[in-house]
Amino acid sequence: MPVRRLGWLLTVAGTLGLVAAFVLTVEKIRLLQDPAYRPTCSINPILSCGSIMTSDQADVFGFPNPLLGLVGFTVVATTGVAVLAGALLPRWWWLGLQAGAVLGVVFVHWLFVQSVYRIGALCPYCMGVWVVTIAVFWYVTLHNLGGRPIVDAVARFHSTILTAWLLVLVALIGVEFWDFWRTLL
Amino acid sequence: MTKKAKPRTTRQTFTAPPRRTSPARGPARGPARRWWQNGNLMLTVTLVVAAVIALGTFLVVDGTGSEAEPPAGATDPRLVRADSHRLDVAAGELVTLVEFLDFECESCGAAYPSVERLRKEYAGKITYVVRYFPLPGHTNAQNAAQAAEAAARQDRFEAMYTKLFDTQKEWGEARTSHADTFAGYAEQLGLDMTRYRADVTAPDTVARVNRDKADGTDLGVQGTPTFFLNGRQLQASPTYANLKKAVDDALAAGS
Repeated sequence: MPVRRLGWLLTVAGTLGLVAAFVLTVEKIRLLQDPAYRPTCSINPILSCGSIMTSDQADVFGFPNPLLGLVGFTVVATTGVAVLAGALLPRWWWLGLQAGAVLGVVFVHWLFVQSVYRIGALCPYCMGVWVVTIAVFWYVTLHNLGGRPIVDAVARFHSTILTAWLLVLVALIGVEFWDFWRTLL
Repeated sequence: MTKKAKPRTTRQTFTAPPRRTSPARGPARGPARRWWQNGNLMLTVTLVVAAVIALGTFLVVDGTGSEAEPPAGATDPRLVRADSHRLDVAAGELVTLVEFLDFECESCGAAYPSVERLRKEYAGKITYVVRYFPLPGHTNAQNAAQAAEAAARQDRFEAMYTKLFDTQKEWGEARTSHADTFAGYAEQLGLDMTRYRADVTAPDTVARVNRDKADGTDLGVQGTPTFFLNGRQLQASPTYANLKKAVDDALAAGS
């Protein structure tokens, strides 16, 4: 992927992730102020931010998870804008971004398992964060490993692989909540 | 990825063919590729289309797989079993209203006051039967049904039924078990708690709830609340006015 297109991807994904993290932070504060508050994304028993946000997993590190998103996605979006502005970032910068992306992608998959198999609910903003984190990880990794024949061969099918990855997650959600989705019809 | 020409380049190439061979364009790539020649894009689209088709197939197979059959008539045994909970019994059972419900379902909670009003108004004229239909999306639906069944073992089904709907907002939509909350209600209702605790998780209690659910599924119940009036499924939303009209029509037809 030309670095300019990667710049666009980081800008858009970073901004979307930032918006989601921001909303989740604000909702968390409202929920703390008023335990009876019903988050805007609590739509039905399955799509329910409330049950996610009040879970133990929502404060894994002793503070609300979206605070990580507020910082992390700001870095992603800023990097994207810098690239679009024509900055030539040194290798160490990209490796730093890579480290963050790896931690992020591991974390969202852990959250996925917790959300789907432990808590048994989904939160729309969180799912948005999962998608953009995976996309950022995927494209930053391809960029950093670029130049090797194997990586370039894989990179030729960049969006196919990303789509397959996301569809696996969709399928897991579909299977786990199948009975529920059916009742919505 | 770098193989994909930018659209702008493609257009330039198209309008100015001689430039394609110009050395300034970098290594020769052969003829410019159109979007449908982009293997990655086409594979991605194929994947998404395949996923949608798979989903559709599952839905259709799942829908036709369950061989639900609507009730054969007002006396279809699947509607009211001998052990089904009749909250009111009319002389002659001329009009029988059967509700498949889930104590955690919000629309059941919304229909509950209308049903109660109707039962009061038509006391002695209609038979009202409650069948369990706990939905899998509700964490405490099964617990609540078992609590009601345990209360029924001590002839307090109606009291528990009322209690569960009156308190639905307090425990509904939680992701954790409220079995203890329900035990608290049982205690408030003055039930024998030793018996309640044994009954609430007893295998035959679970089986009793499951039998109701199996009957419902068999009759084509897909969501809750589903009402059957004299064997006919009510399609209108269960507002007081709709329920009253259906009952009035059935009474007029029967007399």
